[in-house]
Formats: sequence, structure tokens, C-alpha cells
Amino acid sequence: MSDQTDLLQGTLDLLIMRTIAPEPLHGWAIAQRIQQISDELLRVQQGSLYPALHRLEHQGWIAAEWGASDNNRRARFYALTRAGRKQLTTEVSKWERLSAGVNLVLQRT
Amino acid sequence: MRMFSLLRARLSSLLFRHRRESDLDEELRYHLDCETERLVAAGVNPEEARSRARRTFGSVQVVKEESRDARGTTFVEHLIRDTRHGVRRLAREWKFTLAAVTILGLGIGVNAAIFSVINAVLFRPQAVVNPDTLVDIYQNAPGGAPTGNTYAAYLDMAAYTDVFAGSAVTFIPHPATYSDGGPPRQVIVENASASYLTVLGLRPALGRWFSESEDAMNAPPVVVIGHRAWTTRFASDPGVVGRIIWIDGMPVTVVGVGPANHAASMNFGAHTDFWMPLKTIVLFGAPPRTFERGVVEPVFMVKARLRSGVTVTQAQAAMTALGARLAREFPKEDKGAGISVFASRDVRIHPQVDVILAGFATALLAIVGLVLAIACSNLATLLLVRGAARVKEVSVRLAVGATRGQLVRHLLTESVLLALAGGAAGCLLAWWTMRWLSTLDLPVVVDFSVDVRVLGFALALSFVTGILFGLAPALHSTRIELWQTLRDDGEVRGTGQRWFSLKNALVVFQVAVSVFLLAGTGLALQMMAAGRAQRVGYAVDGVAMIETNARYVVNDPADQPRVLEQLLKRVGAIPGVQAATLTRGLPMSPNGEGIIIDGANDASLQTVGAGGIWAGPGFFETLQIPILYGRALDARDREGALATAVVNESMARRFFGTANAVGRRFRTAPGDRPWMTVVGVCRDTWTNDLGDIVDPVPHMFYRPMEQWGQTPTTVVARTTLGSGPLVRAMELELRRVNERLPVLTAKTMAQVLEDSLQVAKGMAAFFTGLGVLGLTLAGIGLYAVIAFAVARRSREIGIRMALGAGSQQVVWSVARGIAALVAVGTTVGLAFWVVAVLVMRVAPVQTSGVANIQLYQPDVDPLAMLAIAAFTAMVGVAASYVPARRAARLDPLVALRHD
Repeated sequence: MSDQTDLLQGTLDLLIMRTIAPEPLHGWAIAQRIQQISDELLRVQQGSLYPALHRLEHQGWIAAEWGASDNNRRARFYALTRAGRKQLTTEVSKWERLSAGVNLVLQRT
Repeated sequence: MRMFSLLRARLSSLLFRHRRESDLDEELRYHLDCETERLVAAGVNPEEARSRARRTFGSVQVVKEESRDARGTTFVEHLIRDTRHGVRRLAREWKFTLAAVTILGLGIGVNAAIFSVINAVLFRPQAVVNPDTLVDIYQNAPGGAPTGNTYAAYLDMAAYTDVFAGSAVTFIPHPATYSDGGPPRQVIVENASASYLTVLGLRPALGRWFSESEDAMNAPPVVVIGHRAWTTRFASDPGVVGRIIWIDGMPVTVVGVGPANHAASMNFGAHTDFWMPLKTIVLFGAPPRTFERGVVEPVFMVKARLRSGVTVTQAQAAMTALGARLAREFPKEDKGAGISVFASRDVRIHPQVDVILAGFATALLAIVGLVLAIACSNLATLLLVRGAARVKEVSVRLAVGATRGQLVRHLLTESVLLALAGGAAGCLLAWWTMRWLSTLDLPVVVDFSVDVRVLGFALALSFVTGILFGLAPALHSTRIELWQTLRDDGEVRGTGQRWFSLKNALVVFQVAVSVFLLAGTGLALQMMAAGRAQRVGYAVDGVAMIETNARYVVNDPADQPRVLEQLLKRVGAIPGVQAATLTRGLPMSPNGEGIIIDGANDASLQTVGAGGIWAGPGFFETLQIPILYGRALDARDREGALATAVVNESMARRFFGTANAVGRRFRTAPGDRPWMTVVGVCRDTWTNDLGDIVDPVPHMFYRPMEQWGQTPTTVVARTTLGSGPLVRAMELELRRVNERLPVLTAKTMAQVLEDSLQVAKGMAAFFTGLGVLGLTLAGIGLYAVIAFAVARRSREIGIRMALGAGSQQVVWSVARGIAALVAVGTTVGLAFWVVAVLVMRVAPVQTSGVANIQLYQPDVDPLAMLAIAAFTAMVGVAASYVPARRAARLDPLVALRHD
């Protein structure tokens, strides 16, 4: 557990939106995808995933729809809305600036 | 776009709350299943996999809660939950709930009831087609204030057909009697032109309105029954059209029934019973010259329908032009004060009267508002006390993580619930009061029903009450130092040592307001006492009167006086009767008249006001009013003889400059009435209205009826035997004269005087009711505060008693606090009252256009104040009796173990 990084406040939203940008995914798949892509470095607290999803939906950045999953069961798929895509772009550039800044500070001191 | 998707997301989450909830369940279940499957695929046995999936997931309930919160629709959901919780809690604490709902119900009920009356009088609109194009027109008095119109001026106005599509004229509604075979009843008759209903755009419910030819001088009289009178007095009988009924003894033919929802030409809730053609006012005693051009009183009201496209401003311009023309052409009749046009929807009764009425309504609402203030502050007291009792509960909830906002919201929901329940109880009370009022036999029929406006008023009051008076206690009781209250000895802290607390202030306020209201009772009683103490100046003991209407048996006006003379002769022959005379209406009720003094140089005496009384021969002897100079009116003052009058002393002094005014002349103001020569001066007397104590001694004059063609209606007699038996004897004689003669009034003079105090009595009852109600509420508040203080101090009291304090000392320590609160409240209330009295004494006359309202100038009455103080002290003792006794009976052992 100790080699896994807890997610920074607010970054979960960014990761969720980035993960579902190519194709709609359901909740469990989003958590799995984030873990896989980050080579198990990032682990999504499953308890905070759903509140985050509902918050994003409430803000109108993602939309949910029931669909059939791989194993042919009913699952709720989340997709980015048009407003969500715009938001993702701003969030990504914000994050890049933040991490660039943090990196600079870490390297130069 | 974003707005839209946002809105949709929120709406759907609110509307489909239940579906959302099951969606969330299913989504989370699916998640757990996926995780379990993954683990099973990785080789974990299914049992173990399921529990591990659950463990990594954490609490499903917390996730659900947070997901719900994230959706942001929680306000409504919380509201529903808080409401459910609040209802449960209030049901459990039903004693508290009952007390609070009763208190608020009384407060809101009294307000809603008074508001219903005001609503019936001032707000309820009349049924009129297209009210936007209807106007009221008034000729102005010399000061510029709108008064009424002369008939000649109405005809001039109606001629403006390019401005008005139609115009109608009415006469002020007046009381009359009617009979449909049975004994005569009091009704309200209104006279209107044939055009009236067409101008309003209404149609009769039955039959027809009277025609132009029926509204002509000397046409056989016809009547349209008001819709309300038709349903109540004629049981909605459709066969009534074509029948003959008797109004003031005249046979009249019913031609129709007025429209439903249209009460009267004046919009203040009173219903006109009978509509009759305008010209029939002559049959009710108006002189025919009222309809001629000349110096006559402007007694007619005019309504007109604007032509389409014509505005009120344009109508006003046209009427201003007419006013100027009238002033030019008839300088004697028209003093050039102009004409005012009002949109009918802005007028209730008359522009001048409306101002007074609105002021009166405001004052009334302010007074009953005080009762509501007491009830509200009482609720606040109760909530505070309960909040303090719930300190532990609140602390525990704060400790386990509830935010202060949540708690405040929770407590507020409860107080709003209470207020709404109180409002419902209040509406019930108001409805009940109004139903009771409707059953009263009032001289005018007023529709007192509770309508949407009243309900809205009560609802608004409850909401404001609940939030305003729940907020302070809610904030107060959630401001808690956790560490202090959770410690076991938390209750010892600050027991009643703080004198200026919110609770105490509220109790003081309640006592003060109640005392102020009770002082209003004192004022009313003072006015009544002043009225009774009035030196009447005429005989009351042994005097009785009977009023009838000869028209019911004799058609020819010339023959009518003979009926009364017959009755007079019979009454004079009753054993014990010493003197008897004739008059009109109730004895000693003067008719206000403008009079002109012959040869007055002083401009202020050109037209002056005085009260005229109709007196037959023997009037002064019967009522034992001494004649100071000259002679009394007697049989010499016949029709055709020189017009004569007797004036009273103050009228002689004021208008003629000398007590001995015999030989001087005066006449009544409008037109060219004959001069009256003063033949006698009598001593000053009071009128028969003891409630009217504002005026100084009234200026009065007495005229013989015969010289003015007036029919007597009343026999007054004085006996050495009791006046009560005399009333019965006179009724018997009346029947002997003619079986069909109606008894309109039969009373002893003492009864007449006592009945004149109705207004003062009503006022006394009103203030007493409010004051006692207020004080009862204040008593409940006091009880709550004291009982709570005793409960909280039980430990301290226990220690004292254990250390040897007697129960007397304990009671005293409790009573001291109450005494202080009551004393402060009483002092404040009385101080406010003294200030109010001083203000009333400084500003005795309110001038408002036509009406001079003189206020009664009260005295500061120390005795009444003492009585009020004693009364509040009694309430204080009653409120503290139970808690003090409980304190005195405390068992020190139990008390020390307490908590």
C-alpha cells in the first residue's frame, strides 16, 4: 500500500474526466483503468469515486446513461459532455502548469 | 448549453429522486460484483472475494450519503426529512405542542378575525364589468375636498356624452322599514337612476331594473330587491316579482331582483336590501326642490362609464371645464370649487370617508397586532426554555458531528411547523368568530366570510412568526460550549444570575403590552363613566317613548299626524301619566343642520352648525326642560302661523350674543327657507347620546313639526308610576288605535340613554378581551420561565435546604425574580400609557377634509393604574404558585442526587 500514492484533492476529477474522454466507462472500469494506466501507482479510493462521479454529473461535465456492460449486465456508463471537454482542457493545462512549477521548485532547491 | 444541461441534471435528480436512489443502489451493487469477479478470477474463493470487495469499498451507506450530497438537491430532501423528524418530535412532546399551538392560534386568530372584518369593509371588490373604465364624480366643497353632487350638476355631467358612454346617479343608502305582511323590519334602501345597472354593465338576476318612466316624479313606486335580501328575506322565491310589499308603509311593486355579487353602490361590504327609483326619495321625506337647480345640498353620488379610448385624466379635464362653466353661469349656486373625477376602483365609500376608514383600520390592526406580538414573544420564550432543556441533546449531536447550521435548520423547521399549526388553529378561530358575527342581527348586512385574502394573511403571519421567533431561540440554544455542558455538573453554571437575559426581556415585554391594552379598557370605562356622569338636563325617571310609522295605516300624508294625535290622547289618559308630547325618531336626538343667523355681521356666523329637534306641544313640560326666557312651543305654533323655534342657552349666547334671544331670527342653510323667530330660550341639556362626550354642550334648537309638514312618529310621556309599565301600556294603546300600526321602538328613556353607550361598551369589551388574553399569555410565559428556573436550580435549592434554609426562604427566592419581572413589565406598560394619554391630550382635533374628528381627552387615572397593577400582580402569583410550591417541597436528598 505504501508505494501507492493517495490522490491529491481535486485531481480525482481530472483523472476521471481524462479516463472517460476516449470512450464512456462505468464506475468500476474507471477505477480499474486509472490503476492500470498509472501502473498501479495511483489507486482510486473506491469510496470517493462515486461521490466524485455524482458531483461531476451534477456540475454538468459528465453525463450518465444505462447501457450493457462486457458481461451483458446493466451498468451506468459515464461520458464527457461538451462542457466537460472544455473543462478537461482547462484542468489539464492547469495541472501541467502546477506540476511544472512543483518540479522546478523541487529541482532547483 | 451549460445552463441547460445543468438545469436538466438538477431537475431530473430532484424529480426522479426515488429512481435515482435505486439507480445508485444498483450502480454500487454492480461495482461490488465486478470487484468480486475480478478477485475470483485472480483465484480468491468467492466468499472471501465478496467480503474483501466490501472491505476495500468502505461503508456503502457513507458513499451513498456523499453521492447524494454531491448532487446538491439535498435542500429539498433535508426539508422533507427535517419536517418528518419535527412532526414526530412535536407529536411526542404533545403538551408543549398543544400549549404553543394554542398560544399562536389565539394570537393569529384574533388578528385574522379583525383582518376579516377589515377585508369585508375595505378590500373585497364589487362585481362590476370592466372596472377600468368606470369613474366616480364629485363636486368639490369650497375647500377643494370632494363632497357630493346636486341633481342639476349631474344632468350637466351626463350631457358630456362624448366623454361618458353612460352615467348614473344614486342617493346615500338610508334606513327604512319594510313589511311583507308581518311586523316591519329595519332595512337599507338605496335610490338609483334607471341607468344605474346598465352603467355598471350588470343584469338583474330576476325580472328587470326600473325604467326611465318609473323613475319619474309621482310615478307609482316600484322596487328591485337586493340579491342578498332576496335570498335571506324572501327565501329566493322566484314568484316574488310582481308582488306588492310595504316599504315605510308605502305599497310598492317588486319588478326584479338585483345581480348577485353586487351589494351596494358603496363598496364597503354592506348590502342594500331594496333598490328604488331615484325620484322616490321624495316619498322618504326629501323636499322636491332637491331635484331643482338652486342652493341645495349636494346629496347625490355619480358614477359614469368612460367612452372607449377616454382616460380618467381626459374625463377630469372635461369636468374641470364643466366646473368653470357652472361657476360662471350660476355664481349663486356654485362657488367654483370645481369637480373631481376618481377611478371607481380607488373609491370604497367616499374619498373623504376612505381616509378615515383606512386610519381606523390601521389603528385596529396595530392594536390586535400587539396581541400577536405577545403570542409570538411567548412562543419565543417557550422555545428558549425548551432549547435550554435540550442543551444536552444539542451538545451530543454537535459532538457526533452535526454542524450548527444543520441544528439551526432543524430547530427552525420545528418552529415553522408550530407556527403553521398555530396559523391553522387561528384560521379556525377566525372562521368561527366570523360565523358568530354573521348570526348577529346587525342593522346592516355585511359579508363577513373568510376568503383567500384572509387565509393568505394568516399563512403569511404564521410563516413570519415561525421564522422570526424561532430564529433567536435556535441560534441561542445551539451556541453551546461543548466541554461545559457535557460535563456532569454542567447545569450548575450561571443559574439565573444574569438579569438581562432574552427570556426575561420577553416576559417583561409581554407584561408591558398586556398592561397597555388593559389601560385601553380603563380609557373606555373612563369614557363610559364620563358619559353616565353627564348632567342630562331633562327628565329621565318615569319617561318612556314609543315610535311607530303612521304610513303603514294611512296613505294620505295629511292624515298621518292624526294617527299620532289619537295615540297621544290615549297615552295621556293612562293613569299616572302627567304629561305627553310628540316628536320624531328617538327623543332628544338632534339633526345636524347648517343655520344662518339673521343680521349676523360676523363672517364666522354666516353658516353655523346646530342640532335641530322636532317638538310638539308640551315637549318642554314632558321632559321638564326649564324655559329661561319667553315661552315654550305650544298649540299656537300651527301650520300657517309665524315660523317659530326655541333655542337653548348656549346657542343663544354663542349665535345671538345674549342669553335672551327672544325675537331674533335664524333659518336653516340651503335654499331660501323661511326665517324662524325665537320665541323662547331653554336651559342647556344633553342629547340622548351619552357616548358622545367629545363635544362641549351642544347648540340645539326646537321646531314645531306642523309648521314644516313633518309627520310625528313618536309619543313621549312622563308618569309618576314606573316607566317600565308605561312602555307596556303605550304598546297596548298603540294596538287599540290600529292593529296594523307597527312598534318600531318602545323603550324607557333610561334604556335609550343606556343603549347610546354601546360603542363605549364595545370598546371596553374589546380592550378587556385583548388585555386579558394578553395577560393570560404573559402568565403562561412567566410560568414557563419560572418553572424552568426552578427545575434548573433544584440542585442549588437542595444545597440551601440541606444547609438549613426554610421552605419560606426558598419560595421567597423564587418569588423575588417573578416580582421583579412583573413589576418592571407593569411599570413600562403604564409609562407607555401615560405617554399615550399625554399625546391624546395634546392633539385633540384631527382635521381631515370634511370631517373633524375630535378625540376624547382622557385623564391619567391613578386608580385604574393601581387596579391594573394589582391584576398583573395576581397573574404573577398565579403563574408562580406551582413552581414555587415545587421548589418549597424539594427533598434535599433527591435534589442533590438530581443529575
